[in-house]
Amino acid sequence: MSAMSWVVWRQYRAQAAIAGALLAAFAVLMLVTGVQVASQWHAALIACSANHTCGNLADSLFLGSHAIGFLVIMTLGVPAVLGMLLGAPLLAYEFESGTSQYAWTQSVTRRLWLVAKSGWLLLAAAAVGGVVSGLVTWWSGPDNALQGDAFKPGRFDIMGIVPVGYAVFAVALGITAGALLRRTLPAIGITLAGFIVVRMVIYGWLRAHFAAPVTTYFSLAQGFTAAGSSWQLAAGYAGANGQPISLPQSVNGPVIGGSAAVPGLPVSSLPAQCQAAAGNGPLTPATYHAVLSCAQAHGIRGYLTYQPASRYWAFQGIETGIFVLLAAALLAVTFTVISRRDG
Amino acid sequence: MTWLVWRQYRGQAAIASVLLAAAAAVILADGFQIASRWHSILVACAGNTACLQQQAPLVNGVVSDLPYISLLVPAVVGMLWGAPLVAHELEARTSDFAWSQSITRMRWLTVKVGWLLLAAAACGGAIAALTTWWSGPINAMSASAFAPGQFDTQGIVPIGYAVFAMALGITAGTVARRTLPAIAVVLGGFIGLRLVISDFLRQHYMAAVTTYYSVGGSFTAPGQSWVLAQGAVGPAGVVVATGWGDLYPALPASCQTLLPTAGTGKSGSLSAVFSCMRAHGWRGFATYQPSSRYWPFQGIETGIYVLLAAALIGVTFVIVRGRDA
Repeated sequence: MSAMSWVVWRQYRAQAAIAGALLAAFAVLMLVTGVQVASQWHAALIACSANHTCGNLADSLFLGSHAIGFLVIMTLGVPAVLGMLLGAPLLAYEFESGTSQYAWTQSVTRRLWLVAKSGWLLLAAAAVGGVVSGLVTWWSGPDNALQGDAFKPGRFDIMGIVPVGYAVFAVALGITAGALLRRTLPAIGITLAGFIVVRMVIYGWLRAHFAAPVTTYFSLAQGFTAAGSSWQLAAGYAGANGQPISLPQSVNGPVIGGSAAVPGLPVSSLPAQCQAAAGNGPLTPATYHAVLSCAQAHGIRGYLTYQPASRYWAFQGIETGIFVLLAAALLAVTFTVISRRDG
Repeated sequence: MTWLVWRQYRGQAAIASVLLAAAAAVILADGFQIASRWHSILVACAGNTACLQQQAPLVNGVVSDLPYISLLVPAVVGMLWGAPLVAHELEARTSDFAWSQSITRMRWLTVKVGWLLLAAAACGGAIAALTTWWSGPINAMSASAFAPGQFDTQGIVPIGYAVFAMALGITAGTVARRTLPAIAVVLGGFIGLRLVISDFLRQHYMAAVTTYYSVGGSFTAPGQSWVLAQGAVGPAGVVVATGWGDLYPALPASCQTLLPTAGTGKSGSLSAVFSCMRAHGWRGFATYQPSSRYWPFQGIETGIYVLLAAALIGVTFVIVRGRDA
């Protein structure tokens, strides 16, 4: 095993050096600009608490620069790059150049060869994913506090532990695609496409259902805001029987209630009796009150369906687990294919 | 020679066509829904700007990421078609065979490079046309045709990006003589250059227009313009971006005391601050690129990428000509 590890090191030391240099450059950039962002955030907090405008800080403050912000978002692509450049060629290039015939006829068994190679590469991918994510998570601390949207796609996906899961999955996908296709370029194409599709399916459709969301009903007069960086899935209004009130596609006319999270309830969607209370033209304080109490008398409440902020790490854990399991399944396929194939 | 290129690439051409057709199906199906929603909003709001601004976004969820996926198309074209063009011939030693035929090496390269650049332009153009059509209502509703991620996926610039990425791949493969390093160079080089041009160069294609207005008044640049900076400028030329946090320390002391403080509930005093600022010679300003420059900017950016591609292709020809077969 140690001899095999030595071979892996000899084969990949140049790539390891390049990856190390890129990571170091990225780390320097993140650390230098991260300190700037932290002091900018600190200064803004002091200034806004001096004149009591911290409530709408998110509207006026932009942390960091567009270029660095773009670079941070680009780390979404790191796992795909690892899968394409490390994973896909692992077996495909051996097949293509015929070196598999040499590599697999040595005293080291084919399985041991594959265990050592894929094991070290998966470990390297996890390390790169983890280091990048650690830097991005630290850099984004002030912005997370400012925006309060830790669950947002593009934010959830580049922080915490999920990038480690993505990196392991992408490399496993690359190795498997290479084992099945036996050619590097098609394997690279499949790795890129497969990674994007799986990620989109999971963040677009599955992630919201990792745990049953919480629905809170609230009075029209008071409104409701979920605490902390929660993930809002749905919001609207319901009648006395709990049936949601269908809202028009577009609103033009007076509304009652409403907040940043939940748009106001159009008067035109209320029972006829309440619409009559609104009279014609814009609402005055008196008619607003009349409409509001009429709607409340009809049992109309607002509702907000969301994943609470406290579930952030549970969601990170579930998503990482899914990608690690998918990676394990792909590797099992690879081992089966390689064991059965004639050298 | 053209027949040879077709024989070599027909499999890849078929895959690319199927993928483009699938993308077209998704974009068209979704685009018609967006267009009908936009139409109903237009009818309901009937030209009322405030009404337009309070509508929910036209797209959300995975669908809103469609344009970002299309940003990848040029890079993919450059990595999977451009990088192997020369590098794979050298790696597999088929260059020994290909370059010792009756067709000269230059002609072999001209035909291959020409057809592939054309294919890249076609891919970029097709995806850009679909995205441009799909984004029409979103552009109109949020007046954001210049925004990064929208400017970069619409109009003619994606054609320039695709041609450049393909040329970068071909050149990187010729220099590196190996496919995988060339692929890495395409990825890094394409993303790096795109970042530099979109973040640092694009706003300087033409001198920006600056408009001054009375403090406390509002100014909205007409149409889908690109606002580069907006805020207040003091008598001594002190420029402050919008946001009280930055503005507060820059104000004269007599204006600072008029600022509303929490608890007192003096909501009317903001206008007192504004008139104090006006009295001290402060003005509001907006620096922007007018919406009429959208197509000139598209043309300039496309031109930059096409020229870079031409330079890269020139380098490739020099290297291949000078190299022993």
